Amino acid sequence: MTFFQALVLALLQGVSELFPISSLGHTILVPALLHWNNIDRSSASFLAFVVVLHLGTALALIVFYRAQWYAIVRALARSIVLGRLSSDPDERTGWLLVVATIPVGLLGVVLEHPVRRLFGSPAPAALFLLINGLIMFAGEALRRLQARAQARKSKPIDRLSYPESLFIGIAQALALLPGISRSGSSMVAGLLCDLDHEHAARFSFLLATPVILAAGLLEVPKLFAPQAHLELVQAIAGGIAAGIAAYFSVAFLTRYFRSNDLRPFGWYCIIVGSICFVLARKGVIT
Amino acid sequence: MRVIAVVLAIVFFVLGILYGTGTINYFTESGAAHSHHVKHLVVMWVLALLCLIWARFQSAPRR
Repeated sequence: MTFFQALVLALLQGVSELFPISSLGHTILVPALLHWNNIDRSSASFLAFVVVLHLGTALALIVFYRAQWYAIVRALARSIVLGRLSSDPDERTGWLLVVATIPVGLLGVVLEHPVRRLFGSPAPAALFLLINGLIMFAGEALRRLQARAQARKSKPIDRLSYPESLFIGIAQALALLPGISRSGSSMVAGLLCDLDHEHAARFSFLLATPVILAAGLLEVPKLFAPQAHLELVQAIAGGIAAGIAAYFSVAFLTRYFRSNDLRPFGWYCIIVGSICFVLARKGVIT
Repeated sequence: MRVIAVVLAIVFFVLGILYGTGTINYFTESGAAHSHHVKHLVVMWVLALLCLIWARFQSAPRR
């Protein structure tokens, strides 16, 4: 992998991890489209590089939501020490995040590798990207129907119930499929639980933080694997680039979702997914 | 409920040790026996910790 390729992949990871367009799908499709055949995605050095990118992205999310994370961790600690639940919104948000993280933690450990083995090539990734777009349109349509039929108003994050939080967590676990977006699926689930776009996006980004951080930290031993041969400068530059891209992405998206919805991303996924699927079926990208 | 939570915590803790020592290898990357599955160990111990917190909530005095 050249320095340029590393930088492009890092920026791609930082942006696509938070935009609802699937980072896993893009890290399969973009190198295939650019015919970067020198990148071995299963090599120890590439996996070590991906670990650094995840850590950079997670760090950016923690920095962006630092005040909220501080309040949440403090409230959770207080709740554990006292041994009871209170009505504090930060504490409630913290427990909702814990509940929503369990499905992806369990399913990730059980299913990550079989799923990657089955679907980790361009054709399935393109197909799932297309499905990701359809999920976003379906989510938006259902949300509007719900709001119209039952005259329900949007609610803040801390008014979610624990089963609703679990539902959002299970939806997030769909992102184990390359092409299905973590933030997209969890946002759609949030919208179906009566969150508005702004709160659904915030909950999705808060929920992504422990998952991405754990994905990075649990793979740290790969950095020190004898076969890793990680180029230090390349890895550091990649981690910083991914972190900066993630920070600006989350800053942009939190503003964007104050007054916009998921449909533009849905169109993007449908168009790019369709094109890539046709190219993969014709053997243009492999 | 408190007893169930504590029992579950012990089960998850032991499962973590068994994964860590490579005694069991269900749902692991290679499926290979006698390799150390750190990721599975950590997840099992996190679940054990959550069960203990659940038990704590069951036992704390109510206001």
